[in-house]
Amino acid sequence: MNLAVTAIGEDRPGIVAGITKVLVGAEGNVDDSQMSILHGRFAVMLIVSVPDDCDIEGLDRDLSEVGADLGLDAIAVTQITGLHGSDEPTHVLSVYGPDRPGIVNETATLLADLEVNITDLRTRRTGSPDNPLYTLVLEVSVPGDEADLRTALQRFAESGGLEAALAELEAEQL
Amino acid sequence: MTVREVIQYPDPVLKQICAPAQPEDVDRVVGDLLDTMRSFDHCVGLAAPQIGEPVRIAVVDLTGHPKVEDPHGLVVLVNPKITTRSPETEIRREGCLSLPDLTANVRRPLNVTVDTGGEEIESHGFEARCLLHEIDHLDGILFLDRVASLTDDLFRRKSYR
Repeated sequence: MNLAVTAIGEDRPGIVAGITKVLVGAEGNVDDSQMSILHGRFAVMLIVSVPDDCDIEGLDRDLSEVGADLGLDAIAVTQITGLHGSDEPTHVLSVYGPDRPGIVNETATLLADLEVNITDLRTRRTGSPDNPLYTLVLEVSVPGDEADLRTALQRFAESGGLEAALAELEAEQL
Repeated sequence: MTVREVIQYPDPVLKQICAPAQPEDVDRVVGDLLDTMRSFDHCVGLAAPQIGEPVRIAVVDLTGHPKVEDPHGLVVLVNPKITTRSPETEIRREGCLSLPDLTANVRRPLNVTVDTGGEEIESHGFEARCLLHEIDHLDGILFLDRVASLTDDLFRRKSYR
């Protein structure tokens, strides 16, 4: 059985150790995971496999206790079903420009309209308060020809006052 | 000549130092390496241990590759030696048939001189990277042994304090 464990809290040593200690105690195995600092907060996303007779409520209690000890903002565990393979990314896309509300939504809507799947997305707001710069970098899976996407991105960048660059991911195998 | 199965980690043949190639190894291995490499759409190089032959032989072929200026075409490496490595390096993403579904950013010299076993060639950029990746295989080194940074390295620079 698979669980999704998510958590976020002020960054400090011991968050990963504390959470995974509870998971190991439940005979859990961290499969895929990603953890990173977002604006000073440490964010945790884990897909965990556990034995089918796992006591999820007990695990939830133990994780909440660890979360309270670590001073986390939030920690949650959810059972998930229907895990399957994901799209392979084919391209990397960067979009950047002066910050304003809506950049992520406009970019994601453009991609969704072209049936382009986002496989990875990171954003950062940098620059000074007077001149904030927004940067998104995405890995995407482009079905079929990339020409339509290139055209749409060019139009989008021009009308939105942004820069957008699309590059093929290295696909060579050695 | 035959398309062979590509050996995947954790098979121990991928983590050992390969033996010097003898003439009979060349006859047995090179043709199969080429056939196996060419049976994959995006495969541009393959080393003997990847087909289960722990001898110092590898092939690289970047003919017509858009990322490579002036490639050497098919390069067959037999007991190769890297004679010079430039101090200039570059980080680029690599993938390997022996570690499927994974890629990582690896730092490598930009320019190398390699004694291929028959001649000395100067190679640059992506072709140099491929030669170094294959020669690493002959010493039991995989690209995961040389990870330089996470994929999202771009975002690692900001301080919030």
